[in-house]
Amino acid sequence: MGEPVLRVRNLSKTYMQGKIPVHALNDVSFDVEKGEFLSIVGPSGSGKSTLLSMIGLLDKPTSGGVFIDSVEVTKAREGDVPKLRREKIGFVFQHFNLIPTLTAFENVDVAMRFARVPKSERKKRAVELLTQMGLADRMNHKPSELSGGEQQRTAIARALSNHPAIILADEPTGEVDTKTRDMIVKLLRELSEEGHTILVVTHDTAVAQQTGRIITMRDGMIESDKRVIIDNDIEPASTHS
Amino acid sequence: MNNFDLILRNVTRRKMRTGLTIFGIALGIFAIMVMGGMSEYFDRHANRGLDLMSDKIYIVPESGFFGGGLVDSMVSKVRRIPGVFDAYGLLWMPYDMESLGMFGAFVVGIAPEKQEITLKNVKLTEGRLLVPGDRYRAVVGSNVARQYGLNVGDELEVKSKKVQRASTITTARNFTVVGIMEFTSSDFDYIIGIPIDTAKKFYEMEDQLTYIWAVPEEGVDGEDLSRRIELGVDNIKTISPQELRKQSEQLLVVMNLITISAALLAAIIGGLSVMNTMLMSVSERTREFGLMKAMGAEVRDILLLTMGESALMGILGGIIGIVGGIIFIYYMNEYLATMGTVLFAVTYRLVIISLLFATLLGTASGILPAYRAAKMRPMEAMKYG
Ligand SMILES: Nc1ncnc2c1ncn2[C@@H]1O[C@H](COP(=O)(O)OP(=O)(O)OP(=O)(O)O)[C@@H](O)[C@H]1O
Ligand SMILES: [Mg+2]
Repeated sequence: MGEPVLRVRNLSKTYMQGKIPVHALNDVSFDVEKGEFLSIVGPSGSGKSTLLSMIGLLDKPTSGGVFIDSVEVTKAREGDVPKLRREKIGFVFQHFNLIPTLTAFENVDVAMRFARVPKSERKKRAVELLTQMGLADRMNHKPSELSGGEQQRTAIARALSNHPAIILADEPTGEVDTKTRDMIVKLLRELSEEGHTILVVTHDTAVAQQTGRIITMRDGMIESDKRVIIDNDIEPASTHS
Repeated sequence: MNNFDLILRNVTRRKMRTGLTIFGIALGIFAIMVMGGMSEYFDRHANRGLDLMSDKIYIVPESGFFGGGLVDSMVSKVRRIPGVFDAYGLLWMPYDMESLGMFGAFVVGIAPEKQEITLKNVKLTEGRLLVPGDRYRAVVGSNVARQYGLNVGDELEVKSKKVQRASTITTARNFTVVGIMEFTSSDFDYIIGIPIDTAKKFYEMEDQLTYIWAVPEEGVDGEDLSRRIELGVDNIKTISPQELRKQSEQLLVVMNLITISAALLAAIIGGLSVMNTMLMSVSERTREFGLMKAMGAEVRDILLLTMGESALMGILGGIIGIVGGIIFIYYMNEYLATMGTVLFAVTYRLVIISLLFATLLGTASGILPAYRAAKMRPMEAMKYG
């Protein structure tokens, strides 16, 4: 295997709740190869979202670093952060993924506007991605007119729009029924097979089982890191305590 | 990045709130237009008036009402002062004897041969000037013609009043209009010019005069000559061209202060309402801005989006206020014209300044809310889920 697309090194994050420090992340390290489909599981409060927000440059770690394509993005200057977010990261959240006043098409379009993609190119790509997500006939609908699954697929299309190095999804199936969940997971897996690198945080073991690797977190640390052979044949990759 | 469509979408999202905000700005700009329109009219009036009048020296009685007035014999004394090219007397009476004589028309008695030097380049739209030998004939200013619907050949009734042993005797005479002056936007628009001999007889003034106007010889300094006239003739006071200018400037300063106060008030009311609306709208959209930042939006993208919204509200409010102001001024002037006066002028300058002001107001009021939106930490913004 080549150079990992993502390297997380000794990442720690301590929040201050008043005067009490909360160690949300505690010396977390792992590598992710290009094209991996990885799930992060663990009890509530174990630091999954915190980890994702550090990787996605939504917040700064207390110590340690994140390297994407060998660039230490956690060292980037404030002014360079938006560009890194656009070029390296595509986000899918559990809820409030879309701008409510904009249609599905415009939600995908706007992400490319921030990246200064010319209009004609934006249109072509948005249509292409939404069609790929099976939303060809739903493009001109507002989020309120879309089902939960359609909203999540729109968010995935948007996350893909700027060709990011990594897709980060925080509980993307948290609010949809099992049928829709399976459809979204299948979609994400297909994307990883096409070469996209995908990190998904989930509570749902059925979702985790579909990914190639499961990182389990507890109290801000990695409890286990296992590769999954399809057909639920689990083989340990490396284990931290 | 051209995000006008997004800005428009957000502005129209809360129609009621946006509408009220725009209405607030429109009211402010309307006030600026009306006040500014008045100021512009006075400015134009004063400038044109100065153009027409500042080449002469105005001579009035020294002590107002109680001392002796001006009399015919003083005219020749003034004319004899070196540097005086010509001097002539005028009788200046309010047309409506009941009025205080501040607004409205004036009957001006003038020697027909002095009309040209008095009116300078003012043209007639109809008819002719007075000629020697005319008696009950009148040349009227454009506002007078408009107010009384006069054309050449029409009759205009003029009244004079005389107090005699505690009773007033009113005499009325019809004057035939022989000429109508063009609109000058100066005091000339309000005059009814009649031959001075007829005027003296009609008002029973004998040798009395209201003003003496002195025309300096070419190259003679008006200020010096004013002083020499004051020294050379007893019981008179002069208003030099410079004093005339000063008086009209004082009036303009007052008018401009009123306009500026209106603008300030508009700025405060309009600005606060835009700011309030934008702060509300920004805090409602906290998660939206967080999402945009997670998508990689630059600080300036969000600044442009939010300030664009407030600027757009400013521009829309400005346009509505300007259009409203123009309509109001138009009908107000029409109405005032029937009462013989005009008070407002809409100028390009006023329209442009009002629009710029509205735009600036909207933009400036959006700065604080925009910074609030742009500085949102994405993680915290997303947490509101
Ligand atoms: N902004 C913050 N300020 C203070 N403490 C925080 C903040 N964000 C997270 N925490 C704390 O850090 C710890 C980890 O939170 P995090 O959201 O990463 O957990 P999680 O694994 O995503 O949980 P869940 O499954 O419930 O989403 C928690 O104890 C949480 O209370
Ligand atoms: Mg979480």
